[in-house]
Amino acid sequence: MNANLVTLITGASSGAGRQIAVSLSRSRRLVLHGRDAGRLIETRELCERPAEHLLWNLDLRQGERIEVSLTQFIEDHGLAVEGFVHCAGALKVQPLRLVERGWAHEIMEVNVMSALEIVRLLVRRKLNDRHLRGVVLVSSTASQFGARGFSVYCASKGALDAFMRAAAVELAPDIRVNSVLPGALRTAMTESMLDDDALKTRMEAQYPLGIGEPGDIAAAVEFLLSDKARWITGQQLVVDGGRTVNLTA
Amino acid sequence: MSTLSDPNFVNPLSLRSRRILVTGAASGIGRITCALLSRLEARVAAVDLDQTGLESLELPGEGHARRCLDLENVDAIPAWMAELALEGGPLSGLVHAAGASCVQPLRLLTPALYRKVLLLNTEAALALARGFQKKAVRDPQGGSIVLISSVMATAGASGAAAYSLSKSALHGLARALAVELAPDRIRVNCVAPGFVRTPMFDRMAALWDPAQLSRVEAAHPLGLGTAADVANSIAFLLADTARWITGSVLTVDGGYTAQ
Repeated sequence: MNANLVTLITGASSGAGRQIAVSLSRSRRLVLHGRDAGRLIETRELCERPAEHLLWNLDLRQGERIEVSLTQFIEDHGLAVEGFVHCAGALKVQPLRLVERGWAHEIMEVNVMSALEIVRLLVRRKLNDRHLRGVVLVSSTASQFGARGFSVYCASKGALDAFMRAAAVELAPDIRVNSVLPGALRTAMTESMLDDDALKTRMEAQYPLGIGEPGDIAAAVEFLLSDKARWITGQQLVVDGGRTVNLTA
Repeated sequence: MSTLSDPNFVNPLSLRSRRILVTGAASGIGRITCALLSRLEARVAAVDLDQTGLESLELPGEGHARRCLDLENVDAIPAWMAELALEGGPLSGLVHAAGASCVQPLRLLTPALYRKVLLLNTEAALALARGFQKKAVRDPQGGSIVLISSVMATAGASGAAAYSLSKSALHGLARALAVELAPDRIRVNCVAPGFVRTPMFDRMAALWDPAQLSRVEAAHPLGLGTAADVANSIAFLLADTARWITGSVLTVDGGYTAQ
């Protein structure tokens, strides 16, 4: 096995991304990406064989810096990137009339454009030869359904899934591209929401299997990245405890 | 980097000592699924109409059962499921892989023909779910039902009216039951395969000319699939890896519906 083969995970410093890193570290060498260097180091310490994994620190809101930064990172470490998991995501809930172009653009950069930019770089022969085999984009059930105050987030996740399908068709048969669509999880981001008892009760009623754990998403990502999913490409796998099929709540 | 040498490693897809009913077990996707589930240490209850096919099924491990049964006798399903549970213990999983194909232009699609397709593909699935929900049948720890639908549930093709109808109904069934059975800790999902090389596919492909076959192949960006590709996804949905997945359709089609 090529010791330089790695899987890149964006948004690995917290929540689902951190758990995906921990799960994948059992069988893969990783490049952990995150914005917060301190929390990224914490993630690495939670991984199997922490010393093997590399850290790539960049703010994905600055999309124009990805090309230089990632190219240099791969060349400096002599890496062959075989897998890519895009888990970085930004969310801001605001009614449409209060949306500002500035932060809306940043959310599009983090949620969609950075994924497109990274896949574009990883399929460059000069940079990564033909090493890339699997891509999993962590989308959201918000790509399929609307919610008040979620216009920018829904647009970004809808675009992410549309990109996923187009890339799946264009990059077949060498590279498989799929997305996982989580519902609300118990993470640091939602912990404060779930502290609110009324909101927690309402949310639990919407989820036939209750609120999810980051490990539930990690299991789906790991499956899609593995050879067990060798004939799955261009698909959205919904992992939401039944939330989006539930009309009774 | 391998975890297989780690004595504490637990295969996340492990189905150790869980009992899983598989219909259509003698051939195609059902047959390969039985083989995979037994390798994942499940106890398989294999059901099919084809006695010879059932007998030749190789199931490593102990505690398996084989039953030659006609699923078109829908009314009898819950009763024999109760019997099966009484004899060999409760069920943790159900895979409905039995199915009838049907390629007929609408003008030749008689009620007798389409009712037969609906009976096996759809009504039997509903009866199996009814049987599974019974307290005497299911494992109190919870369960997972996987219904095998098809890309024809979401895509159209000439001559596929009855088949599409029967398979898209499974998506509706899975969504409704996902919500209704969640309090019993029963998850319900579909796997929707594209064209997979099975005996059913070969029977269908025999009606095509070579140009049509190469068109079908070309329509799958990853090429035609194998029954093992589908079986792996079934195992994923049965195992704890999918403990927060219910009401979902996992499409395994080599990119057929992505373009």
